[in-house]
Amino acid sequence: MKILVTVKRVVDYNVKVRVKADNSAVDLANVKMAMNPFCEIAVEEAVRLKERGIASEIVAVSVGPAAAQEQLRTALALGADRALLIETDEELGSLAVAKLLKAVVDKEQPQLVITGKQAIDSDNNQTGQMLAALTGYAQGTFASKLEPAGDKLKVVREIDGGLQTLELALPAIVTTDLRLNEPRYASLPNIMKAKKKPLETVTPADLGVSVASTLKTLKVEAPAERQAGIKVGSVAELVEKLKNEAKVI
Amino acid sequence: MWHYQAPLRDMRFVIEEWLAAPADWQRMPAFAALDVELAAQVVEEAGRFAGGVLAPLNASGDRQGCRFDNGRVTTPDGFPAAYQAFVDGGWAALACAEEHGGQGLPQLLNAALLEMIYSTNHAWAMYPGIAHGAYECLRAHGTPELRERYLADIVSGEILPTMCLTEPQAGSDVGLLRSRAEPAADGSYRITGGKIFASGGEHDLTENILHLVLARLPDAPSGSRGISLFLVPKRLPDGRHNAVRCGGIEHKLGIRGSATCTLSFEQAEGWLLGEPHRGLAAMFVMMNSARLHVGLQGLGHAEAAWQNAAQYAAERRQMRAVRRPEGRAEAPADPIHYHPAMRRTLLELRTLTEGMRALGYWTAHLLDQAEQGADPALRAQAESRAQLLTPLVKAYFTEQGFRLASSALQVFGGYGYVQDYAVEQILRDSRIAMIYEGSNEIQANDLLLRKVLGDGGAALRGLLETFRAEAEAASTLPECGGFATALGQYCDRLATAAEGLAAAAAQDPERPYRAAGDFLRLLGLVALAFAWVRSARLAAGRADDPFYAGKLESAAFFFAYLLPEADHRLALIEASRQPLPFLPE
Amino acid sequence: MAILVIAEHDNAVLAAATLNTVTAARAIGGDIHVLVAGSGCAAVAESAAKIAGVAKVLVADDAACAHLLAENVAPLIAGLAKGYSHVLAPASTNGKNYLPRVAALLDVEQISEIVAVESADTFKRPIYAGNAIATVQSSAPIKVISVRATAFDAAAGEGGSASIEALAGAGEAGKSSFVGEELAKSDRPELTSARVVISGGRGLQSGENFGLLYALADKLGAAVGASRAAVDAGFAPNDMQVGQTGKIVAPDLYIAVGISGAIQHLAGMKDSKVIVAINKDAEAPIFQVADYGLVADLFEVLPELERAL
Repeated sequence: MKILVTVKRVVDYNVKVRVKADNSAVDLANVKMAMNPFCEIAVEEAVRLKERGIASEIVAVSVGPAAAQEQLRTALALGADRALLIETDEELGSLAVAKLLKAVVDKEQPQLVITGKQAIDSDNNQTGQMLAALTGYAQGTFASKLEPAGDKLKVVREIDGGLQTLELALPAIVTTDLRLNEPRYASLPNIMKAKKKPLETVTPADLGVSVASTLKTLKVEAPAERQAGIKVGSVAELVEKLKNEAKVI
Repeated sequence: MWHYQAPLRDMRFVIEEWLAAPADWQRMPAFAALDVELAAQVVEEAGRFAGGVLAPLNASGDRQGCRFDNGRVTTPDGFPAAYQAFVDGGWAALACAEEHGGQGLPQLLNAALLEMIYSTNHAWAMYPGIAHGAYECLRAHGTPELRERYLADIVSGEILPTMCLTEPQAGSDVGLLRSRAEPAADGSYRITGGKIFASGGEHDLTENILHLVLARLPDAPSGSRGISLFLVPKRLPDGRHNAVRCGGIEHKLGIRGSATCTLSFEQAEGWLLGEPHRGLAAMFVMMNSARLHVGLQGLGHAEAAWQNAAQYAAERRQMRAVRRPEGRAEAPADPIHYHPAMRRTLLELRTLTEGMRALGYWTAHLLDQAEQGADPALRAQAESRAQLLTPLVKAYFTEQGFRLASSALQVFGGYGYVQDYAVEQILRDSRIAMIYEGSNEIQANDLLLRKVLGDGGAALRGLLETFRAEAEAASTLPECGGFATALGQYCDRLATAAEGLAAAAAQDPERPYRAAGDFLRLLGLVALAFAWVRSARLAAGRADDPFYAGKLESAAFFFAYLLPEADHRLALIEASRQPLPFLPE
Repeated sequence: MAILVIAEHDNAVLAAATLNTVTAARAIGGDIHVLVAGSGCAAVAESAAKIAGVAKVLVADDAACAHLLAENVAPLIAGLAKGYSHVLAPASTNGKNYLPRVAALLDVEQISEIVAVESADTFKRPIYAGNAIATVQSSAPIKVISVRATAFDAAAGEGGSASIEALAGAGEAGKSSFVGEELAKSDRPELTSARVVISGGRGLQSGENFGLLYALADKLGAAVGASRAAVDAGFAPNDMQVGQTGKIVAPDLYIAVGISGAIQHLAGMKDSKVIVAINKDAEAPIFQVADYGLVADLFEVLPELERAL
């Protein structure tokens, strides 16, 4: 089967982001960027399915600035066969991204699309589900295990309080949760080979998709800082404070 | 908690702008396929590996150390698996030729990889530490059979090599060594003797270990001209265990996860590498890169020290600062990086670390040009320059690595002296690099006596010409005119000092030996001045970008606060007129 | 203007997150209708009708809705939504699953995990794992919103008397089917909805030592979490991780044991109402966010704490 896997360029998860002084956005100047951790898991899962002989081809797609080629190159080094960048400098909402991906799905006709469950910048957790709505495909969100069998796909999902298993008709959309796998490190030979793999660039206009938005960010603020409280000297004092002062036990 | 983030932004600056290496690669057929993006990706993934796989084992490996039991060595938990991941990732073979299964990438990118490995886990890095040197040595001096048998396994990481040089009575002076090698009927040799301080002489990372052993043939002349190099595997090609035994491991100040072994060879089977009695010459192909790599250990330690001190100083609040950055509200206690003394220390950490990165990578890039350059004249020039810079990089960087680790520890105060933040581990680990692979005193002698005075000053003059050309290029820019003038002046003073030492040596042959350490530090400072003039020139006019603004600030700090040490070194070179008394016997 | 709130439930019991979501709806203002989509969920509808401030409860009782499969319930909700200005659901794994599908069917953008209502069209939501709070304004004709339940107080579950109206079911979309469910058997509450959470870090030194936390958790009726460092070290499974890439929790009481307080961890728990930190390193950053800090050896303190409770 052909797998489409999506990759987003986001601020590296180790970076402590700061809000710009004018409260217009988060300050990303000179900040290290990386592949969204959930997208790494998506790529890894696609590669494992290929290594098991289930997937035949992996196409990595990203929507973002020209620099997102770096993350696509990483996906290629990890095992994707080719890559497509839908280049835009605008920060698109999940619906616009889902519409762009829908256009790619129409063209590529993958049996399975794997996306991260959310990007660690916008924290939307929407794109995979929206793509499923637009394509009319089944969705298996927050997946912790995939088991393809013929034209069906068994998905174990992380739900509140436990796990749920669904069977989806293919083609389907899956979004990844943390436990699905542990992504590998790209090997040097594969980084070198990735250089020769095709990476195509198109624009939203090429795909005939309007990316207009109904959502406007008015301001971005730092969260209210928590003040350090007091140090207690003993367990007895701690229990007394929790009972009588904080009243939480 | 100890942390590490690969300094990718500065690495890219050095590779892409300071060295403009991609343009040079285009002129080297071996690297023509390498471009900026690919190089950046290689460095970034290497950083991910070092930070994700090696860094988590740094403190635990130090606390656990190696275990020795009846000839066998068990390395700290996680070390063998990390080695397997390193080999599987292809990192061991980064700069080995493609024909042998390597990736054929430049030494420059290997330098970036090594810096990150040394920052994150120096002890672990000792195991694959000489693999590349052994590869070069075997490639240059091995017989076709030996190359056929071992080269591919070294490149693939299947076998790890070790270097067996030191004996109890033969340290810096290998001419004193006593291990013997007797020819056998089948053309092989039987090696007998005891070696100490063999890093990775025994371990559980690979099945087989390939010992490179220096020993004397029966007819050998005495001294260093009578030493031959032998290749002695732990396990022979037919599967038998060779007569090599590990008698114990050292208990050390630092790099405790690295097994420093005592080895005894009892009629062990081996093969000659290179010509009889020319063992040191055969080893020489390893020297430039091995000493550069030890220099990169100093850089790696400095980077780890800087990152951790910077983070701690931003979080730790003590006392109210005299001044605060604009817009920062008063608080009962300020972050300690507001205090001038801490700012001095942190800026010194940053400025020296980044300056050393430029010089260290430059040396690696020169090795690439010496090997892969298209023009024979330029190849020769690059080779001579790399040889001049190598002892400087080895000794100056390792001295700074240790000193800066100590400065970083000071930033942590009492918390630096306890184990929790692991900054004390950087201090302990970094100390060995000043000693091994030719002590820093040997490097200073090599630099002044052999590399500078040995050729009548020609190589040094060439280097200073390059420095002056940079000063000239920067002199017209308002941001760096003052720096350029200073660089030019110190080039002149350094040249005069070198000429003075050359002249004095005729009357007082011991004089350059008394001045060698100060001369090396002087050249280190002038080379850093060159590095900062070029960085400032590249940053000029781009101060709206915080990265380049930082470069301009660091350059200004270097010229104001650090370069004046050169006056002190010049004064000490002058002071070396004064003979040193002998100590009571 | 009317608001549709999608109820969270397990076909038997109405989940508390629904009450918090109703509070968010009341902050927007307007008639509040609650949709209970499920199978054999009459008791849930009864409970929903009692929520203070709810005007009407819609019940789609249909086998196809039993497990709230997005393929089946999204068209149902999207069909209803056209009569509403806002559609709200708790940002539970259910809500996060079906709601974006609803939004896309309506061709509107979703506003995820709001933590405050500024006005009928303007909301606050955390981005970058809570390291920044964005104020966003939507001009969409129907505003589809998921609600972080811990950010809103619960509406009173008693006192209301809404009418209950049955709807035709959604029917099977035929794309997906429910195979099974494996809910944590533990009597301990689920991490993200627990009132008390006790988390352990690298300071626990081993997986076995997490037993100390479980003992204490059972005493307090708490859920047990772990820092990323503890998960990385293999002391605890991945699904216990509290932090930027793990679970975001905001319990009434959060007890951090042997956790230094790396930024990734703080991102996952700093909205807790009361934070207690137990760590032998007095400089650990966790103390900077803790209401009550105890500088002590956790191996001495935990048994003592368990006895004292």
